[in-house]
Amino acid sequence: MAQSVNTQSGVTLKPFTAEDDANLREALKRCSAATYEAAAQFRKTGNTEHLPAIVLGIIERYVEPDLRAKLKDADDDLRIIEDLGIDSLTMMEIVILVEDVLQMSINNEELRHLRTVGNVKAFIESKVRGLPLPKPTKFIPIEQIVSIMPIQPPFLFLGEASVNAHGANAKYKVSGQEFFLQGHFKDNPVLPASIMLEALGQLAVLFLLEGQVGEAGKTVDHRTIFFTSCEGVRCHRVCRPGDVLSLSIKPKRLKSPLATFEGQIRVGQEKAAIAEEITLTFAYVEEVAQPPTPQVAPAEQAVALNPAKSAVNA
Amino acid sequence: MPKVYITGVGFITSIGNDAASVSESLRELRHGMELYPPFQKPEVPVKVAAPIRDFQTDSIDQEDWVFPARYRIKRELLRGMAPHGVYAYCAMQQAIEDAKLTEAEVSNPDTGLYAASAGSPFLLGYHLERMRKMGVMRCPPLGIVASISGTVNFNLVSHFKIRGASTGFSSACASSAHALAFAHDEIALGRQKRMFVIGAEDGNVESILPFAGMRALSLQNDPSIASRPFDSARDGFVGTGGATVLVMESEDEVARRGAKVYGEMAGWGQASDGYNVAISHPDGDGLRTAIENALRLSEVAPEEVDYVNAHATSTPIGDISEAKALRTIFKGNPSRPAISSTKALTGHGLSLAGAMEAGFCALAMKEGFIPGSAHISNLDPACAGLNIIRATLPQRPNVVISNSSGFGGANVCLVFKAG
Repeated sequence: MAQSVNTQSGVTLKPFTAEDDANLREALKRCSAATYEAAAQFRKTGNTEHLPAIVLGIIERYVEPDLRAKLKDADDDLRIIEDLGIDSLTMMEIVILVEDVLQMSINNEELRHLRTVGNVKAFIESKVRGLPLPKPTKFIPIEQIVSIMPIQPPFLFLGEASVNAHGANAKYKVSGQEFFLQGHFKDNPVLPASIMLEALGQLAVLFLLEGQVGEAGKTVDHRTIFFTSCEGVRCHRVCRPGDVLSLSIKPKRLKSPLATFEGQIRVGQEKAAIAEEITLTFAYVEEVAQPPTPQVAPAEQAVALNPAKSAVNA
Repeated sequence: MPKVYITGVGFITSIGNDAASVSESLRELRHGMELYPPFQKPEVPVKVAAPIRDFQTDSIDQEDWVFPARYRIKRELLRGMAPHGVYAYCAMQQAIEDAKLTEAEVSNPDTGLYAASAGSPFLLGYHLERMRKMGVMRCPPLGIVASISGTVNFNLVSHFKIRGASTGFSSACASSAHALAFAHDEIALGRQKRMFVIGAEDGNVESILPFAGMRALSLQNDPSIASRPFDSARDGFVGTGGATVLVMESEDEVARRGAKVYGEMAGWGQASDGYNVAISHPDGDGLRTAIENALRLSEVAPEEVDYVNAHATSTPIGDISEAKALRTIFKGNPSRPAISSTKALTGHGLSLAGAMEAGFCALAMKEGFIPGSAHISNLDPACAGLNIIRATLPQRPNVVISNSSGFGGANVCLVFKAG
């Protein structure tokens, strides 16, 4: 009789019988052939590299056919509810099928924070490999952003935002009422590229203040965050009133006093701008006695020009 | 009190999946029974059922189901539906089209929906088995919504964005008659301007065969005589499923919209036997009182009644009990009213029966015919003194009553007048 074996990935592998295979085929009958293949391979080998294909394949099966194209081109930031139209009950159907296929159980509490395709993939991988679960994504509405950020309207360019250990996302709708659009340009309002960069910098500030940064027990001091440098900025698309900017940043290095991020802006599925490196200085509350000196000219310091009001991290 | 009119109907039944084909079947006494394939096993003594055509709903996976192409049902809705939920959805589409209602007229605080169904034993059985085998967390999230009694009102109220009164009715075979009755009152009392009333049942192995245990089903293997109410050789009912939807509106609303009407629902009455959980009172006492109440509240004299659509399911005891009640009411007049049981054609649809037969009465009043009582070779002598018509009469009934009786001895009588 076949025995359970432990694989290198830490997954305990049960023998995969012909009956299991028949059940797997039945369970995945409305998924792509590739999904079944990936699931069968995973069940036979325990190789967690198959997990994204399985999870995405199962999500795809529940997405209305006309929205499936979105999933094909998706990155990990694609939102399950807002972008794919999946409601919480469908999410439960997805979970039940994933549980069936991967032979695991998931409790409701663990699911509450799964908002993006990336969240789901990271979650499943952690579960299967028995690793600690990723910290949940925080969703921050606009009112809360205003109370957290040292930067304030009319120079705040973040709408609803989400922050997790791997980065941050936000939306910003170009309303057309922004003061600088009056002259940029005459009778032809175009969002300045420097403002796009500013918005990404602001999202990096939000990440520093709300993400799980640095050593345990230390809090980033909002009065210490300033812009330092930027590299590899490219703009791909002009943004105008009515456009909704999807901003995302991911940290590349985080060690006080410097934090470096990569950032990008999309409008719908179109790439609008990327910055390979945006670097900010920051310090923890304990080190606030000696804030780092800004190293750039005042005109470029927009990120932290108004360090007032924060009730959260003061 | 404001008058209440029937302004729309929708049918998914064993004798037709729209009003036109149902009407034709009723006139021509064309039945919907067949040797039902899932019953053709040595261990199943019941052979005949009256299934729904053009629908395949025998898989436990709703996405496998097949229904006519004119109805488009998204997965999102389908996943919470029982087979009879799909029938009800399709009948509802027909009723809305028939009554020529706009989206705003369907969805507003003055429009409500009452439904009657026994739930889906088929899906409930599957979900419970899955729970026992695979654990409580592997039950499909909408398994409950799809299977319990009330599934029809849950699904249709949310899908059609009903904002007025809504509830489900559960009095077994009197359920949808009760739903119609209380919907009538909602409008008559001025609480609602418009009500949808739905009766629906699955009509499959799990909803029909459990009645075999109580010896209520016909063991005939000839579909053409399996259901024969009032015949001396009747031996039980034939199971069916399906859905019927009626649209009821206040006279003001009918005038405002210029709506065509099938007829008026003039009133109703009910009374219980207080006798036995599953056997009708042998003298039809409860039903007689229900009819008396209905006629009094509708201000109709027994002599005015032209047609009685009897509950008569084709069981030996039930039919005679009803015959006694009718003889008492109509004083044994051998020439009127005309009496028939359309269950000879459709089989017995349980919760569906009241709404389905009220729908038939609506067609009869609007189109001017009285459906006959089919399959009678030898009228049971116990029915003597009643005008049980064996052929369809080509005349418009002006006053019609429709009876329903359910487990526990619940009796409902509905009274209609041609518009």
